[in-house]
Amino acid sequence: MGAMKHMKKETSNMPDWLLETENYIPESDQDTFVNKSILSLLKVIARIKSQDQEKQAKLQVNVTLHVAFTFILLILLSLSRSFIFVIVINVYLLLILSAMDAEKIVKILKVSIGVSFFTFLVMVPAIFWGNHFSSIMITSKAFATVTAVGILSHSTKWGTITSAFKRFMVPDIFILVLDITIKYIVMLGEFALNMLYALKLRSIGRNKSKYTSLSGIAGNMFIKSKEMAEDMYQAMECRGFTGEYHVYYKSRFQYIDYIYLIVNVAIFILFFYFQNI
Amino acid sequence: MHIPDNYLSPATCAVMTTAMVPVWVKSVRKMKEEIPKVKIPLLGIGAAFSFLLMMFNVPLPGGTTGHAVGGTLLAILLGPYAACISVTVALLIQALLFGDGGILAFGANCFNMAFVLPFFGYFIYKFIKDRVRTEKGEYVGIAIGSYMGINVAAFIAAIEFGLQPLLFKDATGQPLYCPYSLSVSIPAMTIPHLLVAGVIEMIFTVAIVAYIKKVSPGTIYDGAKQKTNAIYGLIALLICFTPLGLLATGTAWGEWGTDEIKEVASGGNVLGYIPKGMKDGFNFEAIMPDYAISGLPEVAGYILSALAGVAILIILFKVISSFMKSGSKA
Repeated sequence: MGAMKHMKKETSNMPDWLLETENYIPESDQDTFVNKSILSLLKVIARIKSQDQEKQAKLQVNVTLHVAFTFILLILLSLSRSFIFVIVINVYLLLILSAMDAEKIVKILKVSIGVSFFTFLVMVPAIFWGNHFSSIMITSKAFATVTAVGILSHSTKWGTITSAFKRFMVPDIFILVLDITIKYIVMLGEFALNMLYALKLRSIGRNKSKYTSLSGIAGNMFIKSKEMAEDMYQAMECRGFTGEYHVYYKSRFQYIDYIYLIVNVAIFILFFYFQNI
Repeated sequence: MHIPDNYLSPATCAVMTTAMVPVWVKSVRKMKEEIPKVKIPLLGIGAAFSFLLMMFNVPLPGGTTGHAVGGTLLAILLGPYAACISVTVALLIQALLFGDGGILAFGANCFNMAFVLPFFGYFIYKFIKDRVRTEKGEYVGIAIGSYMGINVAAFIAAIEFGLQPLLFKDATGQPLYCPYSLSVSIPAMTIPHLLVAGVIEMIFTVAIVAYIKKVSPGTIYDGAKQKTNAIYGLIALLICFTPLGLLATGTAWGEWGTDEIKEVASGGNVLGYIPKGMKDGFNFEAIMPDYAISGLPEVAGYILSALAGVAILIILFKVISSFMKSGSKA
């Protein structure tokens, strides 16, 4: 009895709303676009980080050679009118691909199969209009092209690709901007990710202003990028970096480079051989 | 709008890249003049920003999502020259490292998305903003500028595609690259952009500029009094492009003259009348010389979509011209 009295006294001090049983069930809300944005940001950041942690493989073709010959290969593929040549290149690229790690193979093939499937879809109407040859040709060329670029991108650290640019006489300001961009895609991307997570966590039930928040995130990203740019310039100045690049390491040709060179010369000869048939 | 390799001939790619060289040179020079050295990192960070902007998914009706390009947005925020360089770098990273967009087609992609899109969008924005000096006028300028920017870029991309089968054929007359002529490529490229991508771009651009103006007004590029002559230059350039349509066999889709629209067959039935908006709207013959329709592919879907494109364009032009009128009165 005494206890009851005691409790009654306590309850009377509490506001009524605290005593009511809560049955709040948050309304379900769609946030596909937030999830998709998070996913695509994560993918990009993960891709950049993974290439950065990569250890240089022992059998690594000289990057300058690799970049130059990939470019030449793309031109030859694009010019070629011989289906056999395109098939030969596809087989050659698949052979190189087969020597890579399974994880990388999956990543490269995802992109190249995606692009060639899309190309095939685009070309389907042309097949019905009696244009089979070029439709199949373009699809297989697209596969080869994207695979070749994928192999380049997945087998080299991106920093070394920019150093290869330096050897091709690309202006320093351009290389500087490229380097900053890759670095800041990660930094700004993580910043945007945190805001997207915050938006997701704080949207309980139906959040009507979610769409407007998206422009807030992008807007903040811009303001942040301006601040980062100023900080970076000051950091550059403090360390005496003037934006000039020098390539220090001397690269010597290894035997693998000679093999690569020979293979590519062979491709060159094949191109002209099939072109004249 | 990222053109992959092998859709365009290497010759086209070379021409487009050559066309971009003076633009790049001019942009870099302009940047050096306009932007003190302090802001050089901004170019890289701006490129990172424009790269990430394309990662943002915007909700569309029906539960799907799409993404914006943000070319006009960057031009408004950083100025058109900085936008050109930023988008160029973002496109290079996408092509070289992510396999998105071709390497040989890099010049063409830059022409469409790093040159035409930001410059055209920006000059439309500036043109309207300088004439309608209210806040509303500025937002109308942003909306129309971003909408027009992406659509003109898509249109130019369509021309690049559509010229391929006309210019590059093998001995048997089979096209070597993109097999679709202008009559297919133009509606296929422009209609999705007019209806969907352009709208996303517009909403995204207006919302972000509004947000930044509210939160941090000092950060937006306030371009020194732009000479609006530049816009006439751009329009002249576009008019130079339009005669390319003549290369097409038959009237390009959505570009019929008013006397031809009567004869447009839809599912075997001749349309038989001239849409009213067209009769007293724009005179197409002024821009596009009259030529006969021949060899229209019998795909009813294209007719419908092309008509939609014509209607949207007319509405758009009327809306713009009415804004211009009210602007000049004020």
